[in-house]
Amino acid sequence: MLDNPQNVLVRVDGLKMHFPIYAGILRRQVGTVKAVDGLTFEIFDGETLGLVGESGCGKSTAGRAILRLYDPTEGKLEIEGRDISTIKGDALRNLRPKMQMIFQDPQACLNPRMTVGSIIAEPLDEHQAMSKEERQARVLELMDQVGLNRDFAGRYPHEFSGGQRQRIGIARALALNPKFIVCDEPIAALDVSIQAQVVNLLEDLQERLGLTYLFISHDLSMVRHLATRVAVMYLGRIVELAPREALYDRPKHPYTEALLSAVPNPDPETEADRKRIILQGDVPSPANPPKGCNFCTRCPKVMDICRTETPAFRHYGNGHHAACHLLEGA
Amino acid sequence: MTEGALPAGQPVTGIVEAQSRSLWGDVWVQFRGHKGAMVGCFIFFAIVFLVLFGPMIHTVDPTYLDYRAKNSGWSLTHPLGTDNYGRDIFAQVLQGGRTSLAVGITAMLLALIVGTIVGVFAGFFRWLDGPLMRLTDLFLALPLLPLLLVVVMLFRDTLRAAFGPETGIFILIVGVIGVTSWMQTARIVRGDVLALKEREFVLAARSIGTPSRRIITRHILPNILSPIMVSATLGIANAIITESAVSFLGLGFPPDFPTWGRLVSDNQNFIGLNPQWAIIPAVAISLTVLSVNFIGDGLRDALDPRIRGR
Repeated sequence: MLDNPQNVLVRVDGLKMHFPIYAGILRRQVGTVKAVDGLTFEIFDGETLGLVGESGCGKSTAGRAILRLYDPTEGKLEIEGRDISTIKGDALRNLRPKMQMIFQDPQACLNPRMTVGSIIAEPLDEHQAMSKEERQARVLELMDQVGLNRDFAGRYPHEFSGGQRQRIGIARALALNPKFIVCDEPIAALDVSIQAQVVNLLEDLQERLGLTYLFISHDLSMVRHLATRVAVMYLGRIVELAPREALYDRPKHPYTEALLSAVPNPDPETEADRKRIILQGDVPSPANPPKGCNFCTRCPKVMDICRTETPAFRHYGNGHHAACHLLEGA
Repeated sequence: MTEGALPAGQPVTGIVEAQSRSLWGDVWVQFRGHKGAMVGCFIFFAIVFLVLFGPMIHTVDPTYLDYRAKNSGWSLTHPLGTDNYGRDIFAQVLQGGRTSLAVGITAMLLALIVGTIVGVFAGFFRWLDGPLMRLTDLFLALPLLPLLLVVVMLFRDTLRAAFGPETGIFILIVGVIGVTSWMQTARIVRGDVLALKEREFVLAARSIGTPSRRIITRHILPNILSPIMVSATLGIANAIITESAVSFLGLGFPPDFPTWGRLVSDNQNFIGLNPQWAIIPAVAISLTVLSVNFIGDGLRDALDPRIRGR
């Protein structure tokens, strides 16, 4: 797919999202949590970019910052060539229909006091002047699209199962015909049997509506199934970004290797030989990241330079990007 | 998965679209099922009905001093007897109910509106949180009775001159009670708003591009209805009792102007001789407060879709 260059839909350049920490009687700022610390990547039109990493590495924050649900501390965000990193108010509001989000917890992301019909109609109310009948028709059409029974429009979210609730969330995200959807761990809160249904639905919709996904997950096998390219995050930075096959077959970064070694293999024979790389210690606090490479405290192949200098995020051919001193010498 | 999850893209056929239920229809059905609320409703409307239309049937002037019939017991002309000045107790209770209910409901509404606005703004807008909550603390720290004294002394005559003696005092009392009792509501509402605005459905509304004012009206307010209902029902009781305290101190309505609170406090001196003089208006206050509480309870349940239908 990299042979034919594609249109860039979303461009993220040096995105930083820092949250201040206040303490003491005077509530002075004593530090910052560097949740996202310099992300640079592009998302092509029609692709699915998987974003993986362990809990607390800044995946969700990155997704929300890209949608401008937060005001980024630094960096540039572009969607369809338009800089959205600093726009505010109505200009931002008018761009909302282009980019939508599917949330992790299908229970929490639906207002318990609104009916399914009015939840799905909310984006239509906000952005499109429609008559009551047109709106109703569109809501029912959306419910068909995500495989919800039309009869359920008058019901409340608590009457549904997790998978159905997630479908409601997906229908709401689709209401305005977005181009770009951030899926923030949309399957993490679901049963395994239902995960497959929701993932298939997402694939189906992508095919029919030409959607572009940023798929945030910590489920490596699911990302392998769904994504065209995969970015691996560690402590607020992307350590490796590569097309799916390249990343899963030939990981370049030691952290990616360790992550992939933790994925169980369904074949018992190969599973028996699987060598796990077990990382020692905990993830450092994003309020106080180590000097040099963020991964230097746990890296099995750590060198002296890693503790002093931050490795640059470089391109190593065939769309394979990584940030590691090991690769720079080679 | 359960029914209703069908392969994407296939229109669901063969199912007749159910008649969409109206929200208020559902609320009414649930409310009717709440026995306490229905009894409360019945009692409350009976009291309101009696108080509104009673004086038209029982046409004795509540302030008329019938010396020859003073301290009389139950009779046809005075169904609940007369007090030590010969005033008809029943007429006084009816007339007093008008004032007490009007003061209670209006002051409660005022306190509720002020409290909810302050609470929502403080909870939702971070930069307003500090100033508004310090203002709330300030009001909570004010000594209530001295404040009432000062306010009444300052404004009684102006308001009387502007609106007439009774309306003027009514506005003064309602204003004073409302302005000094919104703080609890504001604090409770702020706490709930703080918790709610971090919920994902508010974030989802933001990602849709819903402006803050509609996030408040569509997502925040409906979800803080329960605490508001509770403070409303408590607020009525509180206002009726505060009014009686103020009148008791001689700062409220004039002495010959009956209210439930005043009847209780005036007649408590005779509790050994004629207990019914104080007990009847006291029972009226309790019944009102209790029935309003039950109505509030039923409304809260009926407005919550998670409880509705059980």
